Amino acid sequence: MPGDLTLPAVDVERTFGAGFVQEARRYERFFYVVWVLAQIALLATLWLYARRGTAFIRESSAGPIGTGMLLAMLGLGIVWLVILPFRLASHWWDRRNDQSDLDYFSWLFEDWAVLGAEFLSICIALLIVMGLARWLGERWWLPGAAVFVAIAALFNFVAPYLDFTTEPLRDKALLASAERYEGELGLSSIPIRVEEVSGYTDQANAYAFGFGPSRRVVFWDTVLQEPFSGGEQRVVLAHELAHHSQNHLPEGIAWFALFSVPGAWILMRTTRRRGGMGAPEAIPLALLVVVVFQLVTTPLANTISRRMEAEADWKALQVTRDPASLEGLMVGFSETGLGDPDPPAWTQLVFGTHPSLADRVAMARAWAARSGN
Amino acid sequence: MAVDATPRPIRLVVRDDDLRRSRLTVFFRFFLAIPHFIWVTLWGMAAFVVAFILWLAVLIEGKAPENLHDFVAGYVRYATHVSAYVFLAANPYPGFRGAPGYPVDVEIDPPERQSRWTGFFRLVLALPALMLAGALGSGFAVGTTLGGGTAGAAAVYAGAGVGALAAFLAWFVGVVRGAAPRGLRDLIAYALAYGAETAGYVLLLTGRYPSSDPSLVQPAAELPAHPVRIEVTDDLRRSRLTVLFRLLLAIPHFVWLTLWLVPACFAVIAAWLVAIALGRVPSALHRFLAAYVRYWTHVLAFVTVVGRRFPGFTGREGSYGIDVVIEPPVRQRRLKTLFRFFLAVPASIVAGALGGVLFVVGVLGWWAALVRGQMPEGMRNLGASCLRYNAQTYAYLLLVTDRYPYASPVLAGRPEPATEPPSLALPWDAF
Repeated sequence: MPGDLTLPAVDVERTFGAGFVQEARRYERFFYVVWVLAQIALLATLWLYARRGTAFIRESSAGPIGTGMLLAMLGLGIVWLVILPFRLASHWWDRRNDQSDLDYFSWLFEDWAVLGAEFLSICIALLIVMGLARWLGERWWLPGAAVFVAIAALFNFVAPYLDFTTEPLRDKALLASAERYEGELGLSSIPIRVEEVSGYTDQANAYAFGFGPSRRVVFWDTVLQEPFSGGEQRVVLAHELAHHSQNHLPEGIAWFALFSVPGAWILMRTTRRRGGMGAPEAIPLALLVVVVFQLVTTPLANTISRRMEAEADWKALQVTRDPASLEGLMVGFSETGLGDPDPPAWTQLVFGTHPSLADRVAMARAWAARSGN
Repeated sequence: MAVDATPRPIRLVVRDDDLRRSRLTVFFRFFLAIPHFIWVTLWGMAAFVVAFILWLAVLIEGKAPENLHDFVAGYVRYATHVSAYVFLAANPYPGFRGAPGYPVDVEIDPPERQSRWTGFFRLVLALPALMLAGALGSGFAVGTTLGGGTAGAAAVYAGAGVGALAAFLAWFVGVVRGAAPRGLRDLIAYALAYGAETAGYVLLLTGRYPSSDPSLVQPAAELPAHPVRIEVTDDLRRSRLTVLFRLLLAIPHFVWLTLWLVPACFAVIAAWLVAIALGRVPSALHRFLAAYVRYWTHVLAFVTVVGRRFPGFTGREGSYGIDVVIEPPVRQRRLKTLFRFFLAVPASIVAGALGGVLFVVGVLGWWAALVRGQMPEGMRNLGASCLRYNAQTYAYLLLVTDRYPYASPVLAGRPEPATEPPSLALPWDAF
């Protein structure tokens, strides 16, 4: 992406339609309110749990690490209970605005399953952290961060091989385009797969994952249906391939490493008074610290993510040479996802993993202006 | 909630401890009982109608009329006699009048005042007890009552669950040996005792809720010495939060149990080979497998709310409130070791059925503990006794002991004598 690139102003009401923009803003405003309230509830709950949570030690017959696991799982469970009404409200709002067909029972069942996976993940994380802390004392934080980075890298690498829910893409025209784009981006053949989600959502999405030999691109089947045109689908494809050509996934892991090291150090320092991360008494406080750390670093992480996405957009424009399709795609995204094309700046800091739709349209126009299209 | 020590208004009494059975009547037991099946169904229909009148009487007067109470009480007693006969808990052919004095009998107190509110909602309130009675296979009294006397409902309650399975196994033993195994007889008697209490509650003979405590049967059955015992030191309080998330909290334990299973399988194969060669399982393998049995029991106790606390991951003895005490290794008979897998089949069937009971205990206990912050003691004790049998079965299967599991639902027994006891020859000796 050129360093001197300045994005032209976009009249969102003209581009996306005045009525639609109003509706999208009304739709998203609800989530902003719910999110703020949920964060207040979350922090208050974790603060209380950090103070009182150690009382649950008496509910354990396990050793220090097992007890730590219990406290962490209970902490997550309490947070889940406290956040549940907010999530329910969000789901209700999604259903009311035709953004989800998932019934409440299925939604709740799915949520329990997710909670179970989170319980297991936090147990594994604590096994590592507490095990290292009990072995190395306060010096655990550096090898601890390294282990988590290694796990993240391993997970990113292995995850595509563990994906049994997607099917290979069968659209021959799109596959031919993929071959051409890969040539231009300097990539070798990357499997393109399709995930069926149209049964429960109309939202459109695609993603790239894996690195090295495990690289994949996955389309949600909603992207391969109306209202998205062939040109728009090719833009999506080029965008995801660009993530691989620009090595965004390994770069993401490198950023994670940069966040993990200070994060682990802060965790070590803040839990020192409770006996350090080797002691179960420190776990409720550790949960609070991790959540606050995540909250504080979210704007920075989102800024990095937005830069990568903008770079992928620019690359996609270079290989497709089709700014009109990118613009059409953004309009399509906003319609299917009822997304505000030009959200308030503060929400971009918190939620903006991608540039706003208006900024992406502006980029398409900037590219067109530069290339004379 | 402690088990109420006052005498229960409906009590199952084992009047005759004679375990001898006539092989001929055992062989044809089911067919011999056909006239009783017809009569119990007809009486059940009549009792159902009378129970409706009792229900109205309880709503209006707060007490059942004595003559109607006696009619229904006679039915419950008779249905229990028939169940005991069919399930081989008793040997003599029962009379058709339900007269007191049968070897497995039910004593029912005269009518007492009952709460109109619990009377009004009796069927709804009885649902948990009926679920447990279903899992226990508690005989004809519950089935015919619930189905308004229909044979289908009777079959569901009598033909499934622990009682029926125990009767099925006892039938083989009875035909071969001319005697009922004491453990299975005690287990059937317990199931019938719970069934009689449940039927009496549903039919408004009493307002007292059925107790699932395994010590219901009189006289209390005795647990013989066994190298695998359960020790309950837990209290009944439960943290509602840990109860709410109980199944999810157990996820790391499920993962660890699965991982542990892999070396445990290799250890069992090694122990089996060594025991056949030397007649003894090496101490290290014994300790490893015993720890697995203990850990498995701790986890199951936690999941089913029978245990209070989050268990440790090592299966260390004395580390949990519902603990398994396992004696050090002793000599094992080579022949029994050789055929261990096949010999364990009957015990595994009973263990599976008790697993079903444990599941119901877990579901009901979960609700009870969530609402009251406490596990009902009777239910906890029943769960612990199911765990005891399952631990003994696992220990037998994994060559930790060659003593066969003992099926009686009683929780505590005599401690194992210090000297090495003689091994029992065949599984049914100890059932």
